[in-house]
Amino acid sequence: MSENTDQTILRRRQVIDTFKQELIRRLNLPYLPEDLHEDVSLLGSGLGLDSLDSLEIVLCVETCFKIKIPDENISVLRSINTVVDFVLEQQDRNGGRP
Amino acid sequence: MAVREAVALTDFSFVRAFALPETPGIDFLDALLAGNVPKIRFGRVLHTFLADASGHLAADCFVANNDQEFIFLCESILPDVEFDALLATAGLDSQARDLSADHVVLSLDGFKSWEVVKQIFGADVVGLPYLSIENYQFAGEPVRFIRAGKTSEFGYLLLAPVKIAAALFATLQAEVAKRGGRLAGVDAHDALRLEGRFFNIFQEGARVRDPLPLGLQWMIDFEKEKFSGGGAIQQRRTAGLRQKVIGLAADAGCAELKTGARIFHDGQPVGEVVAACESQVLHRPLALGLFPLELAFSGLEFRVGAPTGAVIRSISMPPIMPKSLLVKLDEM
Repeated sequence: MSENTDQTILRRRQVIDTFKQELIRRLNLPYLPEDLHEDVSLLGSGLGLDSLDSLEIVLCVETCFKIKIPDENISVLRSINTVVDFVLEQQDRNGGRP
Repeated sequence: MAVREAVALTDFSFVRAFALPETPGIDFLDALLAGNVPKIRFGRVLHTFLADASGHLAADCFVANNDQEFIFLCESILPDVEFDALLATAGLDSQARDLSADHVVLSLDGFKSWEVVKQIFGADVVGLPYLSIENYQFAGEPVRFIRAGKTSEFGYLLLAPVKIAAALFATLQAEVAKRGGRLAGVDAHDALRLEGRFFNIFQEGARVRDPLPLGLQWMIDFEKEKFSGGGAIQQRRTAGLRQKVIGLAADAGCAELKTGARIFHDGQPVGEVVAACESQVLHRPLALGLFPLELAFSGLEFRVGAPTGAVIRSISMPPIMPKSLLVKLDEM
């Protein structure tokens, strides 16, 4: 693998691992981190989380990454991967700083 | 696009349907399926799967707790004879009613599907949460009504007796047409499911068969003592996941991103396309690919078909924003 690919994977994996662990802890989900596929739907189907849980996800992102998800940006909460994309984009905008 | 912009009606009567009395149905289904059936609250629906003894997928299932009965809907990839044998071996007894012979299953999906069902069954239909069941009447006959679409737009499954099927279908079709919708074939749902990243047992399910690389752990209650194929699935889980299915996209016009195509990275074969479609929303090909865990991340570039083939990218799913997610209940 190229160095660029390695770095892309490493950075993404760090955000995924942090987010999954915090998500499981906060919502008391009966899964291991490796059980949660990054594309699984967070709300409705998939994990079947409700609107109260979605607040926990927002708080989870704020706590772990110091990034605020705007109220109107519900598309971010569709899957773990869409949350991670949002976190990485925001970090890029902040010059890599949390 | 009818589903994304309006509404579409599809005959889903390939879905096998059973009605089981609450007792012993609850125990039978719990011993059979990966999900936790006793935890299904009255009026709610569980999305889970049926595996064979080796822990490979046999059917994608909805189980509904409907008053004194459990409704069991299956999209099976097994021939009917094998599927029936699997249920018989598991202990499906004479108290269970196979509804498949005298009922139809109609699927109504789309951004405006709630308008159609509200017109026919009344305003309280609109308040039904996702994965719930309710009973309505049509022409004096009971219609079991399940909110459980797999397109990411509003969706409903209607389980109705054959004797009213033609009239119900015609009524639905007329209301669908009024809203700019149309009839849709089952094949159209392959693309709709992929765009919404809903599991499709007839595509990636049939090719991969193992629920763990497919990311179906959310359908499993790992704390259950046993279910069909549960021991084999637990063993594979303990051994550790080695592969995973992730989303892929190509530029418009790329013909190589098709099911079965090999995927290359740094000139080496690393994966395989297990489902593909042309997205009518994004106007480009979408797919799912099976990758080794170390490469199963979105944001990477690969080649498809050959080491020097067309460039494709792994993407986060779902790649579309459904219109239905933007509708508020008080606006309906």
